[in-house]
This record gives sequence, C-alpha cells and structure tokens, in this order.
Amino acid sequence: MTTVIRAEGLSKTYGHGSNAVHALADATFALEENRIHGLLGRNGAGKTTLMQLLTGQEFATAGTIEVFGENPVENARVLDRVCFIKESQRYPEDFRVKHVLRSAPWFFPEWDQDFAEELVERFRLPVNRRVKKLSRGQLSAVGVIVGLASRAPLTFFDEPYLGLDAVARQLFYDTLLADFAEHPRTVVLSTHLIDEVSNLLEHVVVIDEGRIIIDADADDLRGSAIDVVGARSAVEAFTAGREVLHRSALGGLATATVAGLDEAGRAEARAAGLELAPVSLQQLVVRTTTGETADRTNGVPA
Amino acid sequence: MTAIAASTHAPASPGARVWRIVRLLTANPMTTIGMPLMVLALIFAGTWFIWWLVMASVSGADAQDAADGIRYNGAAAWIFVYMLVVAVQAVNLAFPLALGYGSTRRAFSAGAALTFLMLSVVYASIMTFARWLEVLTDGWGVLGSFFGTNYFATDAGWLAQWWIYFCWFVFFFFTGMIFAAVFVRWRAFGLTTSLLALGVLVVAAVAAITLTNSWPQVWETLVGLGTLGVASWMLVPAVLAAGLGHLLLRRATPRS
Repeated sequence: MTTVIRAEGLSKTYGHGSNAVHALADATFALEENRIHGLLGRNGAGKTTLMQLLTGQEFATAGTIEVFGENPVENARVLDRVCFIKESQRYPEDFRVKHVLRSAPWFFPEWDQDFAEELVERFRLPVNRRVKKLSRGQLSAVGVIVGLASRAPLTFFDEPYLGLDAVARQLFYDTLLADFAEHPRTVVLSTHLIDEVSNLLEHVVVIDEGRIIIDADADDLRGSAIDVVGARSAVEAFTAGREVLHRSALGGLATATVAGLDEAGRAEARAAGLELAPVSLQQLVVRTTTGETADRTNGVPA
Repeated sequence: MTAIAASTHAPASPGARVWRIVRLLTANPMTTIGMPLMVLALIFAGTWFIWWLVMASVSGADAQDAADGIRYNGAAAWIFVYMLVVAVQAVNLAFPLALGYGSTRRAFSAGAALTFLMLSVVYASIMTFARWLEVLTDGWGVLGSFFGTNYFATDAGWLAQWWIYFCWFVFFFFTGMIFAAVFVRWRAFGLTTSLLALGVLVVAAVAAITLTNSWPQVWETLVGLGTLGVASWMLVPAVLAAGLGHLLLRRATPRS
C-alpha cells in the first residue's frame, strides 16, 4: 500500500497566550492510497482544520505534512490532484450552479462531464439557480457533485450530508461506493453521522478536541470493543483490571464497553454469566469522545 | 500492493494554471462585461436626454457655455467604481473557490492580475472608441462630453487617450484588489484599520499642503502633468497595490 497522506506532530494554534485555541494538537497519522477514510469527530473537534492543513489552505503551527510525498502548501504538483469543497464553501456572488459545473472541469483533468450531469439530475439540482439562493441541502449537493465528478486522486468530502434528506444521503453513499469501485482513489470523508457511513469506511481517524484519539482500520475497530452486560457485581468483577471505555448501570444491571477482549476473555465472560453485544462504530466513537475513562493518547489497544 | 492507475492527463503547465483562474473570474461574463455595459448605456441615455433638454432651451450663443460646463460631468466615472467592486468580489469570493479546486495562491494572484489587465485593455478600448464616436458626432448631436470629460480627455492623440483610460482602469482594479486582499487576510478588523490608516495619511497630506501654503503648487503640478501625466502616475500606486496584494494573498487562508 502506498501512503498518500502522512502527518507528523501536526499542530494548529489560533491566537496567542491565554486566548490560544489549539484546533489541532500533535497529530500523527498516515492515510493509504485508494481507500475511503473516515474523519470522525464532534462539531468543532478540528476536522475542518485538519482538512485545510492537508490541502494547504491553512498553515501549520508545528509539525510536518506530506501529501503525495510533498508538502502541499502552494505546491501545484500536489494540489492539482486534490479536490476539497468545504461544507462552508463560498462561491462568487454571481455564480449560478451552471457556472460551478462549467468552471470545475478546468481544474480537474479527470473530470467526467456525463457523470456530473447525471448527478445533477439525480440530486434534482436547479442549474440556473444562484448558488447563494440554494437551500442547505442543494448547496451540499453542489459540493458532492463536484467532489464525485472531479475524480481527483485525493478527494475530501466535508460533512457532505448537511441538509440532504435521507434519499439524497443514500444516493451519495451508493454513488460514492459504486464510482469508487470503478475509479479507485483516496477519499477522506468527514462526518459525525457515523452509523450511516460505517459500511463505507475502510479506515477511521477519530479526532476530539484537536487530538487524534483513534487511528485504525474500521474492521479492527469494530471488533476492538464489546459490550459486556449482566448483573452489576458480575460485570464489576469481570472488568476489574481490564480497559473499560464506558460504563452504564440501570438498577442491578450494568453494561461495560470493554476494549480488546480476546477469545479467551469472551469465553471467560460467558462463563461468568455475562452477555456479549457488539458495539457499533458510532457507539464506540461516542464512548471514546465523551467518556471520562477514555484513553486520550492511545488509539485502539493493539 | 495496489496498482496506481496512471493519470492519462499531463500535469497542467504554470501558464494553464494561471489561465484557468482568468476563466474562473470571467465564468459569468454578465458580471464583468454585460452588466457594466448595459448600465453604462442606460446612464448615457439618461445623460444624453438631459443634454438634449438643456440644448433645446438655450440659444446659440449660450450653447457653447453649456457645452463647456458639461465637460465637468462624472457620469462615466461610475464604470471605474464598478470595476473596483468587480475586483473586490473576485478576490474575496473566487479565492476560496479556487483553493477548493486545488489552485495555488500564487496562481490565483497571477490569474487575478492578468484578468484585471485584460479587462482594462477591453474597457479602455471601448471607452476610446466611444470617445472617437463622440468627437465624430459633434458630441452626440448635442455638444455633449460623456467620454471626453475634463478628467480624461487629451489632445495628444488616440493612443494617449486609450492609455489614460487604461491607467485609470488598472488603478481602480488593483485598488479593489488590495483592499479585498487585506479583508481576505485580516477580515473586517484589518480592513477598518487600513482604511483608517489611509484616512489619516490623506488628512496629514492635506494638512501639510495647507500649512505650507502649497495648494497653488499642487494645482500647478497637476495641470502641468495634464490628464495624460496624472493617469500615468496612477500606475505607481497600482503596481504597489498589485505587489502588496500578491504578498498578502500568499499567506491568506480562506475562511468561511
């Protein structure tokens, strides 16, 4: 596998002194080529800042970034292969949808016009409407269509579902997957609707308060934690000495989300009369980004 | 190991990267060409009608007086302000989109400058041609001076006339560009601060000229320069604005 993005000790701080906001702190990770990567996190976690850094739109305070092996800042060789339509993307005042669709191909050599037109139809986008008159969902659709039809070797989708109805969201996920199969490329999808995209994602980076807290393959992640349910005393006895991501209790019943439970551990739990339940990607992320017990520095235990 | 699908397209040349910015900024020609020409035509029609009324109500001897007065109208000045706004909008709103499309700031800045120069050539040619028509038709039949006002007209020939318009367009485009660049880089705070600073400079200059009783010399200098000289000098602030604007954009970040 070839690495497309490599970040090391990447930090971005806005402001100075006591007003300083650490939008991103000491992020180190790598994204491989031709996969769909999920960039997950709560609002304000630093997802957009990270994507702006990776596309050279923002300047890093510290650390290094390599995209296609080079620093992306003001680097045409890198940026020619990148498409990043932000969730809050601004367009020229006088632009109608058709002007976006007319201008985008000039910047993306792999642009597929037929595909773009097909998508416009499927998303029911009014091409003659001014971009600033579009609804939130239609605005998202513009970003989605440019991102998909650009076929850029490195494409970012920044919360592309905002304002889209359930049908349009499913349409985006299905189209992305189908087109990705035909035209493999590296996709980074930022989202907080994790359940909806969990089947799409091959690799997951979870960011919380500017820190990378999970960086793992989606499959490993799904099996990495398990809910242990049973009598409170039995759960407590079982989890003693184990890494617990989250606990909840209702009356005499308790649930603990246990990380890295191997086959022997599972057998032991069953023997103790406890039930095991899978943890969805969404629950896992929620539990690692809200729980006091969350391990902030490590990702998923090996 | 996944095989990398080789791109069938050669990487864009630096020239192509700049040229697509020109195309982006003029993607809707209604804004850069259509609207300004239509509004200019409307203002011209309105002005012409007023002149016609004036000329219809004065007798032969007074007509020349009235025509001289008309030469101090600012009707055509509107188009220069419009171009300043075009430049502001281009830099402020096309910049974030160009970066989203994977353009470099360098290419954007160069493309914007090229666009402004090209539009200056186009509009200077249109204005010069209109002035030529104006002279040919004896001031549109009413001794009017819409394009050859005292601020822009010259006796030094058509090339000089074209050059005067060109310099003023360049000046207004790049003035718009520098203020938009300040806004893109430092938002409202930066723009307010720089406008205040500019205001202080202007007041200081006026005070200095007034206190040293130099106003007669200033007017003399301006008259001595003539419309051609003044317009040519406008290239100095324009070039400074272009250079400074480029430096500002090189470190600017598109914000939402």
